[in-house]
Amino acid sequence: MATLKKKSISQSISGLVLLLIGVLIALPLVGAAEFSLRDGGRAKHSFKSYAWIFQQEDFITNAVTTIEIAVVAVLVTFILMVPTVAWLHIYGKRYIKFVEVLTVLPLIIPVVALATGAALALPAWLQSTKYVLSMMYVVLAMPFTFRALDIGMRGVQLEILVAAGRNLGAPWRAVILKVITPVILPSIFAALFLTVALSLGEFTLAQLLHWTTFPTWVAVAAQGNILGATALSVGSLLTAWVLLFSFTFFDRKKTNHQEEE
Amino acid sequence: MAKDLILAQSLLEAEGTGARNRTGFSVLGIKKVFPLLPLTIFISVFFFWPIGAVFINALKNNDGSFTWANYQLLFQEPYNKAFYNSVKLGLISALTGAIPGALVAIAIAQNGSVRLRKFIASISGVLANTGGVPLAFMFLAAFGPEGLATLAFKAIGLDIYGLGFTLFSFWGLVIIYSYFQIPIMVIVFMPALDSLRKEWRDAAYNLGASNTQYWLRVGIPLLTPSFVASFLLLFASGFSAFATARAMTVGNISLVPLIIGTLLDGNVTVNQFNLGYALAMGMIVVALLAMIPYLLIQARTSKWQH
Amino acid sequence: MSSNTLQLKGLSRRFGNVLALDDFHLSLGVGELVALLGPSGCGKTTALRIVAGLEREDSGQVILGDRDITNVPAHQRNMGMVFQAYSLFPNLTVEENVAFGLQMRKVDKEKRLKKAHELLDLVGLDSQSKRYPHQLSGGQQQRVALARALAFQPDVLLLDEPLSALDAQVRTNLREEIRRLQLSLGTTTLFVTHDQEEAMAISDRVGVMSHGKLEQIASPDTLYNEPATAFVAGFVGTMNRVITQLKNGKVSIFGQAVSAKPSDLTEGEVIAFIRPEKVSVKTAGAGANATVLTRSFLGASSQITCRTTDGSIIQALTGSHESGELHPGSQVMLDITSDEVLISHV
Repeated sequence: MATLKKKSISQSISGLVLLLIGVLIALPLVGAAEFSLRDGGRAKHSFKSYAWIFQQEDFITNAVTTIEIAVVAVLVTFILMVPTVAWLHIYGKRYIKFVEVLTVLPLIIPVVALATGAALALPAWLQSTKYVLSMMYVVLAMPFTFRALDIGMRGVQLEILVAAGRNLGAPWRAVILKVITPVILPSIFAALFLTVALSLGEFTLAQLLHWTTFPTWVAVAAQGNILGATALSVGSLLTAWVLLFSFTFFDRKKTNHQEEE
Repeated sequence: MAKDLILAQSLLEAEGTGARNRTGFSVLGIKKVFPLLPLTIFISVFFFWPIGAVFINALKNNDGSFTWANYQLLFQEPYNKAFYNSVKLGLISALTGAIPGALVAIAIAQNGSVRLRKFIASISGVLANTGGVPLAFMFLAAFGPEGLATLAFKAIGLDIYGLGFTLFSFWGLVIIYSYFQIPIMVIVFMPALDSLRKEWRDAAYNLGASNTQYWLRVGIPLLTPSFVASFLLLFASGFSAFATARAMTVGNISLVPLIIGTLLDGNVTVNQFNLGYALAMGMIVVALLAMIPYLLIQARTSKWQH
Repeated sequence: MSSNTLQLKGLSRRFGNVLALDDFHLSLGVGELVALLGPSGCGKTTALRIVAGLEREDSGQVILGDRDITNVPAHQRNMGMVFQAYSLFPNLTVEENVAFGLQMRKVDKEKRLKKAHELLDLVGLDSQSKRYPHQLSGGQQQRVALARALAFQPDVLLLDEPLSALDAQVRTNLREEIRRLQLSLGTTTLFVTHDQEEAMAISDRVGVMSHGKLEQIASPDTLYNEPATAFVAGFVGTMNRVITQLKNGKVSIFGQAVSAKPSDLTEGEVIAFIRPEKVSVKTAGAGANATVLTRSFLGASSQITCRTTDGSIIQALTGSHESGELHPGSQVMLDITSDEVLISHV
């Protein structure tokens, strides 16, 4: 039958398209990976270059710096966003739309422009600490963290659970500890994971506000050793991929709930 | 469902209003939205204040007096060229991302395999966030004179360097940008494809439409807004990108983010600093021109996509 | 009227290792409304989709009038289909949706909009013609879908559980509307549903399906009073199941000997099927002793649930005025008012 024959033709075309684009995408990655494994020319290959970054003397300092920045960003996000979004869902449903629009704004403004403004406007005492970056990262991550928390709380209809808990006699402390937190834990993790990912890889703000973080340091150090730089790039890409892949496996349980409405 | 929500709300509000009324704090209802204060203050300090500063300072002279001069400079060489380049880069990289990205998304939707979808979703997630130095070095490695990609092209008879190819050019940037533009497109456009309900296609066939007619009258009209919205997002992404551009240029391509970077590095004469704010403001305006329609379209089409 | 007869001959379809349709036969006369009734997975939707051309059969034929349309593509079959939900094109207005089938048949704009309005009028939604689907309620959307399916005067009307996604009240009203429209237009209609009340209420004939096969096809009355198999008996309406002994073609129900049908099953333990309205409940007289558990007032009738001395739960349906004095705990005598019961193996 005409429609079904068409179906198999379009299946093979789509397969071809995927293959072609897949090859184009894989090419730089594979090329870079091959390059990074070279040990003195194309003939010999080893993992030598992958050790390079760890051998740099500033590695620890800068890695620690970035980790510290990320930790503060995560803490601030947690303290700021989780209670606020929870409150919105329980008491302030009518304000959700407004806050949603508010948190989307950082997505619209180019980071470069924001950096310019931050460099100009923020007081010197604030800009003298590297944690100013943490604060900015919290803002940059806000569109994603808000969305993660919002969707998670919406999926479980937090306000009903809290009302039920209160009705069954739970005091507020118990409600927060035993009702709210366990239930939205996955969303909290998602939001914090996003914040960490952003903080670890952010370059533009750090560079323009003249802070040395891991990404900005690598940019400079890499000029001297292209093999090492390539190894680092490929390595971080693959690590991120493995992490994301395993994350989606944990996520499987959660996503089913939202489809049932 | 709706009944439960209303009941829950009223139960909780009943708890709340009693205490609040007792304290007598009802002016402007501020006490009610007190919990939103932390977030509002935070965003004001770390977002609105910087943006506001950019806006105001772009209108100021060094002595603090009001002037349009900074903005006027934007329309002159070399800054207008920089804007032209940045917009061009945004548009072209959006195109090189949107079309392959849409094709990939369509291919995944046609294929239907869940494993394939998950696989591509996770690769896209990682690649979409890849930029700056890692991306630059990957391409330099693969497309360098001794890189695998270069050799692969040689193997099929194309000496790309002989043909004048270089990554350190406008088109080199376009190619590198497509590495994150295509995945972004796949991620952003996929939901639109998913929202094409099977019933619409079945109903169209049943009513006498051939495959082509279905796409012409139902499928494409429904996908177009999302395609446009995705394109706008890609444009903003390509226009605003900083890290990759900085890693790849040796001063030969004039782009707005790069100029701002130079100015902020302090390599300026005194009166050029305010120019930086005008440039930043210019970037904001261009980005807004793309992102506001993007958000509007997304809001409108979500009504269809239940 | 372009309405036609429809025949399904020997349709079979397998999905993986599930046999969705097993040598399925069905015949619809001109203007007849036949319902396919059964639990999910019984194959009714598969059969419908094969008729529509949206699904391919492994073997068998679909014959419209005197034409074998088995190999005709879906968009050329000239059948109107109403889906369970969400089938209206969101980018078109209500009237554009209804006119779509005519547009595909190259009818010019003025004529097809006029026809669309005619049909929208028939379903009472002419005032909504310039609106978009998402602005309408579920019931309204389904009425538009109905108008759309009928606008081009199809040979056959196909309905795939059109009421399942709607509220109870809307469901009852809409099914009447479907029947009225179908009768006035004389369109041959195939209606798939899992709701037996719906099927029985509006169909000329009902086909009960299970595991890809047709268990019985008959008028609602016949199906109810003379179920051919245990499955049909249990699926259509409420049914009491009593375990009893078969001997010499008779079974004992409430102490009475009653003819069994079929009478030639192996003697011994069997299940007997008794309709609630065939159980009489009296405060005195012959019959089996029982205690009333509940009395549900349903208006003209009341449903009495009793427990007999051997522990079985029996439901009886009586006139409310007859059972007015009964309450939980009352002692009653149960008897059967028909002289034949359907039985099957345990």
